[in-house]
Amino acid sequence: MTLVTCLVRASSSPTVPGALEAVARACSPRVVPWRDDAVVFDASGLDRAMGPPARIASEVTRLSAERGVHVRVGLAGKTTTAWLLAHAQPGISIAMPGREADVLAPLPIEALKVMAAGPAAPIGLRFAPDLECLEILRRWGLSTLGDLARLPRGDLHARLGPDGVRLHQVASGEDECPWAPVDGVVRYYERCELEWPIDGLEPLAFVVARLCESLEARLERADRGAIAVTTRLRLVTRTSHERTLHVPAPMREARVVRTLILLDLESHPPDAAIDIVEIDLDVAPGNIVAGALFDLTVPSPEDLATLVARLGALMGETRVGAPVLIETFDERTRAIKAINTFSVKSGSGPTRRSPTPGWSLRRLPLPVAAEVMVEHGRPVRVTPSARGLPGGPVKQCAGPWRSSGAWWTLDRRTWDRDEWDVELPSGVYRLARDRTTGSWSIDAIID
Amino acid sequence: MSSLAIKRLESALQARHFDRTLLSHRRPGGRVTTTGWAPLDAALGGGWARGELSEAIGTRSSGRTWLLQATLAAATRRGEVVALVDAVDRFDPRSAAAAGIDLARLLWIRGPALTAEQTRPSLLDAAVSKAVRAFDLVIRSGGFAVVALDLADISPRIVGALPLATWRRIARVNADRDTSALLIGEAPMSRSAGGVSVRLTAVGTWTGATAQQRRLARLDLRADVVSARHGQGAKQVGA
Repeated sequence: MTLVTCLVRASSSPTVPGALEAVARACSPRVVPWRDDAVVFDASGLDRAMGPPARIASEVTRLSAERGVHVRVGLAGKTTTAWLLAHAQPGISIAMPGREADVLAPLPIEALKVMAAGPAAPIGLRFAPDLECLEILRRWGLSTLGDLARLPRGDLHARLGPDGVRLHQVASGEDECPWAPVDGVVRYYERCELEWPIDGLEPLAFVVARLCESLEARLERADRGAIAVTTRLRLVTRTSHERTLHVPAPMREARVVRTLILLDLESHPPDAAIDIVEIDLDVAPGNIVAGALFDLTVPSPEDLATLVARLGALMGETRVGAPVLIETFDERTRAIKAINTFSVKSGSGPTRRSPTPGWSLRRLPLPVAAEVMVEHGRPVRVTPSARGLPGGPVKQCAGPWRSSGAWWTLDRRTWDRDEWDVELPSGVYRLARDRTTGSWSIDAIID
Repeated sequence: MSSLAIKRLESALQARHFDRTLLSHRRPGGRVTTTGWAPLDAALGGGWARGELSEAIGTRSSGRTWLLQATLAAATRRGEVVALVDAVDRFDPRSAAAAGIDLARLLWIRGPALTAEQTRPSLLDAAVSKAVRAFDLVIRSGGFAVVALDLADISPRIVGALPLATWRRIARVNADRDTSALLIGEAPMSRSAGGVSVRLTAVGTWTGATAQQRRLARLDLRADVVSARHGQGAKQVGA
């Protein structure tokens, strides 16, 4: 037997934030709160624990009073009926399943106005009635919901359209759609107040590990994974040191989360000793990935996140990632982007082998200035300014290839240069001559 | 009888992890990663051995970078992921893309932007030491088909100053993994027992009858497999 209970705060009662929802959640897991003024919950099965509906109603009234809220209670087999009864009548109103229309019948037609103040889809009240419709009904001489329910639904539709039908459904104690309970907000949060302040990451690691293990157990029970990890350290200086890590995929393994937190704190250490450690997680449904039997193995997002964090701590956060091509004619431009995950591919069949070797560039991050002797417009001798790059006579050369760009800007990104490939006794280089200044430099080594 | 004794001895060596060092044949079914250059693959028995530390060495413009990128490209074309530790930030994404590397499957670890040829040795020491640590971290994490450490522009004197045990430890870490660890440098550093050292030399081939038409067409590579436990001894590949 379905039994829905609606609690509505009495107009004389003060508002206590969360009180009605807490009462409802104490009685049922299926709850829909409506601000702090009303709550609907599924009371099916409560009769076995509390007794008949009247007993349930008085029990929730008592529980609400304990939390400082006086309520009106409506119990019915349908949500709409419970909602209407709780709003229209003081005290406790009960409509046993199947008798909703009879109980609603004496209520005045104005009771339908409360539908306008109700929640939308979650409890099956999908519309707010047009007050003009109610006025029309009054003009027709209808004074109670019973009068309305007795009218033929088809005729109402012909005269008032879909709104008329919906009003008729409400007056007959029918729900338009099932209601969807709203999950309570569960916070994944752990806190540890230390007996003695700790200074340094090594002792902190033990505390963080314990908190992460506790969080992992909770996440596993709820099949959730952390997508953002906020670590808040209350320091002895009465200040707070807060770091938030966004992880690439929902993860809950304590070892991984602990490592990520510690690596981040290693790069951004707190200024003083720590009094309180708090870890707060933003969560998402768990990400369970089952690799296909014949797919190639790639590092999992958890392993990759840990590796990138470790490498970032070692080399610098911006020095680890995947290379990207920038759309520019300036071939010296290089860029890197953060890498979160590698897609799994089955491979593209047999490897195409390069038939003949070619060459690749080794880009010098800071071009090396060079003195270049030019004859008949072509370089004949190169003397680099760096000791480690031997110069010499040019054996072969190709060029120039002219490129320029960003001339429309006034900053230093403008370039206008001639490039040459030159072979010296010590190797093959890419030379560049700045056409604005006339200076030469070695930009890359061909290898 | 003698073959039975040899088998027993080999089993005993395998049990103590000495088989890589003492046995002269590659273990059956040993996996390899293609180098992307067919003649060298043929000489190496299929490519770089997985679970081993190999090295490609040569002077400037000897084709080391081309060979490295060919290896990475072949692996990414198969859908595998690769990593490159770039000790002094010399990697050129445009060349890599042109060589066929799927850049989204490459983890690029950039060292400090130094011009090795005019930087103080102390700075280079620090850069090399960080790069080797990063190389070790990537190998330990697993899941990469090729992990390469590019020390090509670092003086052999600086690389040689690293304790030999460093390379042995890295080789040992990689021993049970499905990763080809590859060092790129100017002089031999330290391959593992089952790895190879490939010395590269190259001659530039220029095309074009006139000065205006002149182009660098390619580097004609020659590879000498200078030290490999497996195989018949030193081999030469290429021009």
